[in-house]
Amino acid sequence: MSIQEQYRKKAAELLSSGEVKLVIGYGAGTTPDRRRPLFVRSADETSKLHLDAACEANLSGYLVTEGLLADRKKVGIFLGPEGIRSVNILASESQLDPDQIVIMGFNREAESVSALEGSNVRDFPAMLAALKEQAPGAGEQALVERIENMTPEERFTFWQAEFEKCIKCYACRQVCPMCYCRRCIVDNNQPQWVQTSSHTLGNFEWNLVRAFHLSGRCVECGGCDRACPVNIPLRLINRRMAMEVLDAYDHFSGMSPDQETVLASFKKDDPETFIL
Amino acid sequence: MNEQFEPKIVAFVCTYCTYAGADLAGTSRLKYPPNVRIVRLPCTGRISPMFILKALQKGADGVLVSGCHPGDCHFTSGNFHARRRWTVFRALLNFTGIPLDRIRFSWISAAEGVKFAELISSLTDDIRKLGPFEQYKAMIHETETPVSL
Amino acid sequence: MAKIGVFICHCGENIAARIDCARLLSAMDDHPGVSVSLDYKYFCSDPGQENVKKAIRENNLTGIVVAACSPRMHEATFRKACAEAGLNPYLCEIANIREQCSWVHSDREKATEKAIDITRSLIEKVKRNNELQPIEVPVTRKALVIGGGIAGIQAALDIANAGQEVVLVEREPSLGGHMAQLSETFPTLDCSQCIMTPRMVEAAQHPKIELLTYSEIEQVDGFIGNFTVKIRKKARYVDMKTCTGCGDCIQKCPQKKISDEFDCNLGKRPAIYTPFAQAVPNIPVIDKENCTYFKNGKCRVCAKACPIDCINFEMQDEFVDIEVGAIVVATGFQIQNTAMYGEYGYGKYPDVITGLQFERLASASGPTAGKIMRPSDGKEPETVVFIQCAGSRDPSKGVKYCSKICCMYTSKHAMLYAHKVHGGKAHVFYMDIRAAGKGYDEFTRRAIEEDEASYLRGRVSKVWQENGKLMVRGVDTLLGKPVEIAADMVVLATAITPQPDAKEFAKVIGIGCDEYGFYNEAHLKLRPVETATAGIYLAGACQSPKDIPDSVAQASACASKVIGLFSRDRLEREPVIAMNNEATCSGCWGCFVACPYGAIEKKDILNRSGELIKRVAFVNPGLCQGCGTCVTFCRSNSIDLAGFTEKQIFAEVMGL
Repeated sequence: MSIQEQYRKKAAELLSSGEVKLVIGYGAGTTPDRRRPLFVRSADETSKLHLDAACEANLSGYLVTEGLLADRKKVGIFLGPEGIRSVNILASESQLDPDQIVIMGFNREAESVSALEGSNVRDFPAMLAALKEQAPGAGEQALVERIENMTPEERFTFWQAEFEKCIKCYACRQVCPMCYCRRCIVDNNQPQWVQTSSHTLGNFEWNLVRAFHLSGRCVECGGCDRACPVNIPLRLINRRMAMEVLDAYDHFSGMSPDQETVLASFKKDDPETFIL
Repeated sequence: MNEQFEPKIVAFVCTYCTYAGADLAGTSRLKYPPNVRIVRLPCTGRISPMFILKALQKGADGVLVSGCHPGDCHFTSGNFHARRRWTVFRALLNFTGIPLDRIRFSWISAAEGVKFAELISSLTDDIRKLGPFEQYKAMIHETETPVSL
Repeated sequence: MAKIGVFICHCGENIAARIDCARLLSAMDDHPGVSVSLDYKYFCSDPGQENVKKAIRENNLTGIVVAACSPRMHEATFRKACAEAGLNPYLCEIANIREQCSWVHSDREKATEKAIDITRSLIEKVKRNNELQPIEVPVTRKALVIGGGIAGIQAALDIANAGQEVVLVEREPSLGGHMAQLSETFPTLDCSQCIMTPRMVEAAQHPKIELLTYSEIEQVDGFIGNFTVKIRKKARYVDMKTCTGCGDCIQKCPQKKISDEFDCNLGKRPAIYTPFAQAVPNIPVIDKENCTYFKNGKCRVCAKACPIDCINFEMQDEFVDIEVGAIVVATGFQIQNTAMYGEYGYGKYPDVITGLQFERLASASGPTAGKIMRPSDGKEPETVVFIQCAGSRDPSKGVKYCSKICCMYTSKHAMLYAHKVHGGKAHVFYMDIRAAGKGYDEFTRRAIEEDEASYLRGRVSKVWQENGKLMVRGVDTLLGKPVEIAADMVVLATAITPQPDAKEFAKVIGIGCDEYGFYNEAHLKLRPVETATAGIYLAGACQSPKDIPDSVAQASACASKVIGLFSRDRLEREPVIAMNNEATCSGCWGCFVACPYGAIEKKDILNRSGELIKRVAFVNPGLCQGCGTCVTFCRSNSIDLAGFTEKQIFAEVMGL
């Protein structure tokens, strides 16, 4: 039985037994090679669920939809490794109760998907430990290093050219499971720390603040990158920040629901090489 | 002769250590260049990365963030938190092309008037050599230019 | 509309010599929102302050900036002037144009420009200042003293003698602590019990002291002036109200072979017991672990022996909640287990004992009635070797610090031994003799010169048994020779360490401790008895190893802090504290994790039918100290710090 069949069946069982009230998964998209989120509330709808290599989106952000988990009922969800990590972070930041989440985990390879053993967010320590071991993964590493090797002026020019394109649509914020704030700092106009005008300075400030707020929290699911309509390589900044917290504090975000927030904690002997 | 470039430097300091150290530099009548503007905060823990961005927006060519030495924080751990925050924010600034020579961090105690005066002198010198932060200023300039359709 | 007054002080020539005050004045005149700007020779003088007050009244000012010396000098002065003129004192900002401008720059032109910048940015800040009211916190005039050793007793008595209520909690069945175990005390050799027991009795009978022995602190909540403490009164199985302390039960208890902790396991006690003869209160407890009835369900001999029927095997632990305004922590110390020194043979050879065991041997009320006898065979030792720093000042095996009291008590032991065993020979191995204190060095000299203790500067490498003797091999570094001594007894001056549960207890009461578990003072030199948690004070060896005089002095210092706190009905605190916007808070608890004071609480927001809508941060104004660390962690800008709000700082920076 394919994993898609297997998870359709599991979703149907969960729903018909009443164990979960909802399954968040993937449905057919607008074109054959795309998938969109699908919210399934009854067993007979589960045949609409898809699970294949096209299922890219990290669905965990839907879990913190206002009021969804307030009735204490469980919700089933299709999650890749990044999604599992973001559920851990959401749990460690008290945005959800991890025991309300029934995970149907999957690993996406080039052409296929395979199932991940386990259903509670605590069931994946070995998989997460292996991910941490591999970090930073190959992916964009070459480009990150290319930027690192530029002079500051070149880097500034590189990013200025990228940020110039930003239209402040905030799709990156909308898609990010970590951007759950009731009020984003950019929407606070007392004071207006981040300029909302879409000039390069305002764009620069917005993108810096976004990256800083995600430092030690981003799981590199790539959602922001895919959502950006003007193709700013947001993943590069996020990757660089993930590398920083890993190097400096051995912090790989989303390892467990009890993980400390890297920026709200400290060690007395944290490294300091740059402080005069 | 060209007039020497006078950079604008903004310093964010905690009131218990570095601000008091700057006061001590004064009571000791030490001399340092008048390029620095000090913003007083209760603790380094209160110093947000946003302050640095706003100082740059106001045309600062250099920024100094300074507080109590580790272990000496009046509030016990504000500077430990600040240290992590700066480490991470500094990496971000560096990656996006803000030269780290312009954004400096230090620990200066209430007794280190001399260190304060010397640091401001050397920082001012360094930034004089770097010259104005033209790239950022160009970006600021863009915000002030009316859009033509 | 803002109506700001700017007051430029010349400070005689201190400011005026380097800053063009006329130019500064005219620059401020033109600044938006400034209604009035004045300069004057000395604004801090009485007529200067009158000018400020007059300007505030006449112009109905909404805020003032005084461009003068450092706020650390005269902020309080000008805030007071504001208040006297009817302006909220927190609508005043100080532009530091003396210490941070005129005194440090020699270029008048540039110094003036800098002064203009500084003053302007503070005008922008003060426009956004809010009226703040000092925070008033009521004070419960009752103190909790934790620990009934000499430090705790002294603190309790001093507070009580000042007329304030005290609850004194001791976890053992009797007051006394370690001092009650000692034989004589240095440097005067007065008997410990003789000076201690009157204090114990005084504390127990004091009308202002409520004594809770055999009780432990379970939980501490609240903040300075307003602590709530949960105390567990452990079941004694003896009714304290009716027991007369006749001791019949103790005599009759058939179980007599229990190792006596008070005698450092050198003696035996029954299962129903008082720790020592002069115990206060003189009421026995049943040791449940070792009681035959509790183990087998049969016995009850003590109950039959009791003439007034006060034994109650059904007794349960009781919990009481008390409200107190201040807490003195005097939980004392323990001595380090010397098991890591296998080469000294402690635990292997019965005649290798600790200093505290020697105290019990030398004590008139001890297991040998004050006779120095070998634990192994009861013989009088003819030669005793004392090994100092058996754990202290030893980073590799023991602790890094000096335990402070061992040099003195070892001298005392050598002396007591010489007095009790005529012809006995005492050898002392030491690293340094640290005898700083009134009469201390004279005391150690007496041990060496009059009582002929032989002091050998060096370490001992090995102790072993040979022909009924304890062979001690060490080195005399002054002579540069190895030494071997055949001794009858070896006494180890073990390190003083924190109580075994010190670290966990620090968490219960909410104070900090060092790597060992000694409690942290707020400032080692200037605030040595306060902790970083306002309203909690430290006395005695729980802070660091201490002798009796130091413990008593620190206890009295704590008492004076507590009495000072209780001299007012309400506390007034600077209103520079954090506040949270509950509407925008997402409850991510970054602030909760980061707050060094545990001032962030979780608050439930309920709807009309009482259902939980969300959980947000609430800043406890009694605990918040105003550092603002939480503000910087708040991604949504929900938490803010009064006096240094985001709006104020933004305006200040943007005004530069």
